[in-house]
Parts: sequence; C-alpha cells; structure tokens
Amino acid sequence: MKQAHCIYQDEEHRWLAIARDASKPGYIIDTNEYVVVHGEEALLCDPGGIEIFPAVFSALSAECDPTRLAGIFASHQDPDIISSLALWLEFKPDLKCYTSWLWQSFLPHFGGQDSTFVPIPDPGMTIRLDGLELQAIPAHYLHSSGNFHLYDPKAKILFSGDVGAALLPADNNDLYVQDFSRHIRHAEGFHKRWMGSDRAKRDWCERVSRLEIDMLVPQHGAIYQGADVQRFINWFAALEVGVLRS
Amino acid sequence: MNAPEPNLHGIAPRTGELARIVRVNEEIKAIVATAFRINLMALNAIFLAKRAGNAALGFGVLSNELRRFAQDLTRHMASLREMTSGSVGSVTGVVQQQRMATILAAALKLSGDGVPGAREARRRGAARLAEQQIRLRSLDLRLRAAVEETQQLVELGGVLARSAKIEAAYGGSFSAALMQVSTDFAEVIAQIKRSLEVLGKERLVKD
Repeated sequence: MKQAHCIYQDEEHRWLAIARDASKPGYIIDTNEYVVVHGEEALLCDPGGIEIFPAVFSALSAECDPTRLAGIFASHQDPDIISSLALWLEFKPDLKCYTSWLWQSFLPHFGGQDSTFVPIPDPGMTIRLDGLELQAIPAHYLHSSGNFHLYDPKAKILFSGDVGAALLPADNNDLYVQDFSRHIRHAEGFHKRWMGSDRAKRDWCERVSRLEIDMLVPQHGAIYQGADVQRFINWFAALEVGVLRS
Repeated sequence: MNAPEPNLHGIAPRTGELARIVRVNEEIKAIVATAFRINLMALNAIFLAKRAGNAALGFGVLSNELRRFAQDLTRHMASLREMTSGSVGSVTGVVQQQRMATILAAALKLSGDGVPGAREARRRGAARLAEQQIRLRSLDLRLRAAVEETQQLVELGGVLARSAKIEAAYGGSFSAALMQVSTDFAEVIAQIKRSLEVLGKERLVKD
C-alpha cells in the first residue's frame, strides 16, 4: 500500500513522496508521485495511472487536504504519468494541468477540457503555488519529445521524471538510494533504452549541474540525495544512450 | 494490494449495453441491405410490367408503390442508424462515468471517512451519471417508437406484396414471371418483419 513520506519540510512548505508501492500488481510499473505543498495550495507531480489512483489518492489524503490541490504537473504524456487525470478532475474539476504544449491536444484523451491545460512553452516557465515559484525545466527527448522537470529552488529539489529512474527488484523498497554503485545498475538499461538523444542528455546535464540540488526525485525507483545527485549527473553524462540493446 | 477490483464491477452491465447496440446496428444493416434489394426488385418488376402491357397495369402500379416503400424504408433505417450511433456515445459516457465513480469511491473508501471534498465529488459524479442515464433512456424510447413506426410501414409493404400476387394472376402469358416476382417481394418483406421483431425486443437500457 502506498504511503506519503515527507521528504522536505520548512514551515508551510513541504514535499511529499508517494513512493515505492510494494503491494501493487507486478504487471504495472512502479511509480513515484510527489506533492509540493505550499501554504494553502498543493501541486501533484506525475499523478500516475488509473489503476493506482485509489492508492495515490488515499496516501495523499492521509497527509494533505486533497481539496487544496491546485494543479497537476505532467512531465510528459505517458499513461503511467497522467492517465488518472480524469479521476483527479472528477474529484476537483477546476484543477490545472501543466504540461508541454506538445501534449495539450493529446492529454484530453485522458480527460479534461481546454481550460484544464496550461501549456508549457519549450524553454520552460514559472509555476506559481501560493506565492512559491517553481521552475518547469526543459528535458525534451529525455525521454519524451515534450518533456519537463520541476525545480523547487527553495527546497532545492528537482523532480526529474524518468531521468534517474531505476527499475528496482520487487524486494527493494528503499525510499532513498543507499548504495549508488549498486543502485545505478538498475538504472543503466532503462536510461540506455528510454533516453533517445545524447545531445539532449548532455545539454540537460550541463544545465542541471548549475542548479543547487539537494534531492533528485525520479518517477521510478529511489531518491538521490546529497553527493549522489552529482554522482548521478556525472554517470548520466558519460552514459551512451539511445541504445537498443546493451 | 491487487489491481482495484471495484472498477471492473461497474463496467460489466454496461458492456452488455454496448453489445446490445452492436446487435441493433447489425439488424439495421441487414434491413438496409434488404431494402436496397426491394428497390432493385421493384425496378425489375416495373420493366416486366411494362413488357406485359395492359395485362399487368395493376402490377405496374403496385411495383411503383413497392419501390416507393423501399425508399421510405431506407430513410427510416437511416434515422434508426443515426439514433444507435448516438446511443454509442451515450452508453460510452455512462460506462466512463461509472468507471470513474467506482474508482473514486474506492479511493475515498481507502482514505477513510471525512476526506474534505468527498461528498461534493460524489454528488457531482452521481448527478452526471443520472443525466447520462436519462439521456440514454430517452434515446431508447425514441428508438422503440421509431421501430414501431417502421413496423407499420412494413405492414403496408406486406399488403402491397400480397396485392401484387393477386395482380400477377391477371398477367396473362407473363403471369408466372409476375407471380415469381411478387412471391420474392413477399419473402423479402417477411424477412424484414422478422428483423424488426428482433429490433423491437432489443433495449438499449435494462428496464
């Protein structure tokens, strides 16, 4: 059963990780959802698929008033990212969904109407959450052609979508990366196959290296913190991507 | 936790409704094809009556009427088809709404009592579902009324086919050929009647 873990708190500013669901069916890829709470508003990052909605909703409700949800940030268009959109809108019809302009006319197939979507332009944009400024950072072609990550300069957390993802064994439910060298083996195949552009990868690594990041929180697998963040960026920069077989 | 089962429960009866729409649509398609056949048969009958001359004047009039009947029937079936394609949209809406309501209910149940906004969300969902069900019932009523109207039209077609059989008896040397044509008419109309009976029994929603 999914649970929300508070991974950052500074007064009314919190990050919740709804991560590592050991009890979900094996045929569904495990996903992490993150909630940024600031003051009276909350933003849900990559809310996940339809099948896990009850588990995500109840985990979120246990830690945060769900009526405070002001928006959803969809890093890209995949079903494990955002196919639950209609259900979140069923609960709160005025939710805004921030996503790449590229998917503005695709995501309504999952739910929502024109007024639901806030298209993020290619260079990115600022997303305001009750006075807090979050940055939608371009991560195009990593892996989706219209892809964004979300940076919180106050908490120094980067939500990195599929970048940093690791397909961990079922018995590994660590919230944080414990041993980088062991962990990264579970990330290698994923990054080689899912990340299609070496040029986009290098550009992302350069830009992200300039940010102050205490935690890099991916949509699959464990969270990188402290020195493991830069370790990951360096590892990713050196990795050959766009490879059909390793 | 296994995959949330409750969402599957809400869907099962509605997939039955989609299957019913498919059956209705198939019957309509069969009738449309038969109506097209009657149209061609009536055209041939008109030519045959012309060749038979004065002996088949009455048969010629009836053939014209049968052709008009085939055209009216085609129009009726086109409007029935329009209704069923509209009902696909309504049934899909109900299916989606039920699925969402069931998954949301499972989520609220998991979250325990007193989740803020839960009551409003349930009320909104129930209202939307009720609205879509009303729309579907009204479509069902319209469809039934249209089928009944078409059945009356086909009764008239049956009368025309029987009269054509009588007129064929007066067709002199063409009598056998005219009789064959009128028998074909009667058979095809009987086939349409059977299809309409099946259609009349189908319901888009359970009573």
